[in-house]
Amino acid sequence: MAEQPIWLTFIVAFIIMNVLLVGMAYMTYFERKVMAAMQDRMGPTRTGPKGLLQPIADGIKLLGKEDLIPAAADKVVFFFAPLIVFVTALVSVAVIPFGGTVQIFGRDVNLFVTDLNVGALFILAIGSAGVYGIILGAWASANRYSLLGGLRSAAQVVSYEIILGLSLVGIFLITGSLSLRDILLAQQQPLEFGPLSLSNWYILSQPLAFVLFLIAAVAETNRAPFDLPEAETELVSGFHTEYSAFRFSFYFLGEYINMIVVSLFASTLFLGGTSGPGSEAYWGLGLLWLLLKTVIFLFFYVWLRTTLPRFRFDQLMGIAWKVLLPLALLNIVITAFIRLVSNGQVF
Amino acid sequence: MPWDVIFFYLIGGVSVLTALGVVVANNPVHAGIFLVICFLNVAGIFVMLGAEFLAVTQVIVYTGAILVLVLFVLMLVDPDDLPEFHTARPVQRYVGFLLGAVLLLEVGAAILTWTRFAPEGTATPENIAFVGGNTQALGRLLYTDYLLAFEVISLVLIVGIIGAIVLALPERLGERTGTRRDTISLGHARGTDTAALPVGPRGETPITVDRDRAQPTPAMTRGLIMAKDADEYTTV
Repeated sequence: MAEQPIWLTFIVAFIIMNVLLVGMAYMTYFERKVMAAMQDRMGPTRTGPKGLLQPIADGIKLLGKEDLIPAAADKVVFFFAPLIVFVTALVSVAVIPFGGTVQIFGRDVNLFVTDLNVGALFILAIGSAGVYGIILGAWASANRYSLLGGLRSAAQVVSYEIILGLSLVGIFLITGSLSLRDILLAQQQPLEFGPLSLSNWYILSQPLAFVLFLIAAVAETNRAPFDLPEAETELVSGFHTEYSAFRFSFYFLGEYINMIVVSLFASTLFLGGTSGPGSEAYWGLGLLWLLLKTVIFLFFYVWLRTTLPRFRFDQLMGIAWKVLLPLALLNIVITAFIRLVSNGQVF
Repeated sequence: MPWDVIFFYLIGGVSVLTALGVVVANNPVHAGIFLVICFLNVAGIFVMLGAEFLAVTQVIVYTGAILVLVLFVLMLVDPDDLPEFHTARPVQRYVGFLLGAVLLLEVGAAILTWTRFAPEGTATPENIAFVGGNTQALGRLLYTDYLLAFEVISLVLIVGIIGAIVLALPERLGERTGTRRDTISLGHARGTDTAALPVGPRGETPITVDRDRAQPTPAMTRGLIMAKDADEYTTV
């Protein structure tokens, strides 16, 4: 990793943040279009060509709405809670590597904000701090539906975080590092499999961890079929019942940015991130590969939402503690054992 | 002044102020929020000391899991059920103050002896860089020299989990469905909703609920008399 002046890091961070915000806006468009196609509808068509300006129109509409604060609300907490969700969602992208060090205008530029020693854990930690935005906002609303949604959300996130973390332990065991850049570099080594030479993507060596991670990630981002915190059939709309206008849109932004970050995280961990044909020669191609892999995960999110009905809360907790947790522990034991055998430390 | 000194005083100042906020806050949930901010700032101090793993663990375990559960309880407890919050008896205050002072002395003595008199450890920057970083160095120590302590801690945690399960289990499994427990009040104290009903905007008297009304006896109720068979009402 080349040292670079701090202003250059700021520029990279600024670009990543803005791309993420625009990406979030068009994620809503993508979701509506894909859902429409799956339900044999048209989706947004009126605003701009093929409805492409719809996210912008939605944003302006949300800005223009009246900002309501319930009389019994805790004003300060009510004000800050949506910001927590939004900020934590944005911060966690800082450790995602979008490539190595490249030459732009004759300067060495790192295509990541920071290469933290504990990058993978950092994302988990920030995700667990983000749940405060939901439970504090729910509590500050002084609404029982909100509070119930917030409590569900907290229980759900705390439970699934364990599975999210444990499913990654296998990867850490193989790589020997918690840094996302090291994990990315480890996946660029070829995996010799008889006559075949595949990329050493962790989806191949850690398939069980991949499935567990995918399930836990959907629950962690409060998306269907695990969207119990905002189950509108039971809880009006859960923790953000009392939120309107721009405060609501912070929750909305946070949720979609979280989805994008988790998808980037999953592609980096399991699908080799920026690696792909030609990505060593041209860093732009690496970005394109990363984008493609991320879109696959985002499509999977939308696919789940249109396909599966919502879980019941006891089912949600049951599957986490009775099925996923033992499987995650099993995966760790198997991975550690294989690692020992391949190092020649047993037998 | 170098930047890291400025950041240290900023983070340290915020953590001291929020720690104070935990004690003086009137609302228990606000006290919890102060504690969250305090823990996050302490994690920031860990990062400045080069202990990223410790910082991230602090955020995941304390702010991410334990404090969420604490806030859970605080949100569900009726504030009216906490009559002794901030109005503790004097003896409790003195004992609390004494215990706090003892703890401060202990921590201070521990830090002083370690920095002044203890021999220098092996965790020099060169050694840490040799094993690959702070996280790796910590992992190696935990699973070699301190393996016994590590295992003892995990055993204690397992005992704690089993204890929690035992406490949460009803004495007989049928009890949970047989009797209704008291529901948890999310808002006002029990019974206040009938006494404090407001008069309507046009002077309507509130509908009062007669809590003490007699339960209907079998003599007061009578069975449903069906004039016709139920099927006769449905016309096909």
